[in-house]
Amino acid sequence: MEILTQIGIDGKLLLAQAVNFLILLAVLYRFAYKPMLSFLEKRTERIEKGLRDAEEAKRRLDEASKDKESILAEAREEARKLVEESRVSAEKRGADLVVEFERKAEKIVAEARERANEEREKLFREAKGEIAELVMATTEKVLREKLEGGAGDATKYLGKE
Amino acid sequence: MEISIIAEKLFSIGNFTVTNSLFVAVIVAVVLGITAILRSFGPLREVPRGLQNLVEAVFEGLLDFMEGITHDRALARRFFPLVATIFLFVLFSNWSGLLPGAGTVGLNEEHAGHTILVPFLRGPAADLNMTVALSLVSVLSVQMFGILALGIRGYGSKFIVAPWKKPYVIGTAVGLLELVGEFAKILSFSFRLFGNVFAGEVLLTVMLSLVPYLVPLPFLLLETFVGVVQAAVFSLLTIVFLTMAVTPHHEEGAH
Repeated sequence: MEILTQIGIDGKLLLAQAVNFLILLAVLYRFAYKPMLSFLEKRTERIEKGLRDAEEAKRRLDEASKDKESILAEAREEARKLVEESRVSAEKRGADLVVEFERKAEKIVAEARERANEEREKLFREAKGEIAELVMATTEKVLREKLEGGAGDATKYLGKE
Repeated sequence: MEISIIAEKLFSIGNFTVTNSLFVAVIVAVVLGITAILRSFGPLREVPRGLQNLVEAVFEGLLDFMEGITHDRALARRFFPLVATIFLFVLFSNWSGLLPGAGTVGLNEEHAGHTILVPFLRGPAADLNMTVALSLVSVLSVQMFGILALGIRGYGSKFIVAPWKKPYVIGTAVGLLELVGEFAKILSFSFRLFGNVFAGEVLLTVMLSLVPYLVPLPFLLLETFVGVVQAAVFSLLTIVFLTMAVTPHHEEGAH
């Protein structure tokens, strides 16, 4: 024990130093370590959460842009198909119309021709009748004149025949 | 010039004598404590500023360093208060011993026939009372954490091994060595710190008395560095011992 006193070890001082240190430990624990560590932990958590969120957002954005791409491609394809279809149908319809118009035109022409024929025939028939009547009337007149002109004459005419 | 290995007595309160090293130790503790208390009044900002920056850097650095040894964040956090306090206290104690006047400014006193200088300030770690007290706190905390983590039986099985169990007498001998090792830790802890700091103090005092200007400066810088290293060593060893104490013994559960 004498060696301890020779190198200056003193129980009371030793205890005082230990108590001094323990008080410092308690004070630092209460005012520095506890608030600071929980603060740092919270911030770390928040930063980690922020990074995770950013990652998630990036992933979603990628997905969305991929979706957008495919939707756009689909829409483009659809539009192309639609245009093609409408073009085909328009062509078909146009052709149909031409055919129809042609047919109608033909029909009209045919009708017109028929009517003209009919008209002509009717006119022809009428004209025939009238001519016949006219010939008859003229013949009758001539005959009557001859007959009334003299019987002798009639014989002359007859005899000549 | 005479440099005493024992801290000099400054004054006494009742029959308790206060030495210059205890005086400085209390001042260091009070300054650190007041800084912490004042700091706790201010808000902790999300974007750190001023003192908060420094505190954060020191705490984060220490915590990461400890995690590197314990390989366990929770364990590092559990040990943090003790280890950080040891680091800060030893660091600022060592640096306080480098302040101008420490070890040199004091009163001449008649003592046993010849006059000796009694400095007002003495580095706390240049006094075995401080280093032994700190070593005791450290080693006792190691035992406490070990018992809390493994239970008395589990922790005790590191030291007391029955001679009829697996490694037989060897296990018993190793256990006894471990037990002796725990006491050796107190000695090595306290004398390492004391030796380094006291040697530094002697070195600086001698240098100052030989060549007062410029020459002591490199040694002052060296001692600043030694102060950090010794604080780091003390706290590093404490973490290592704490980690070893809470790790279950290899032989445990082998049967």
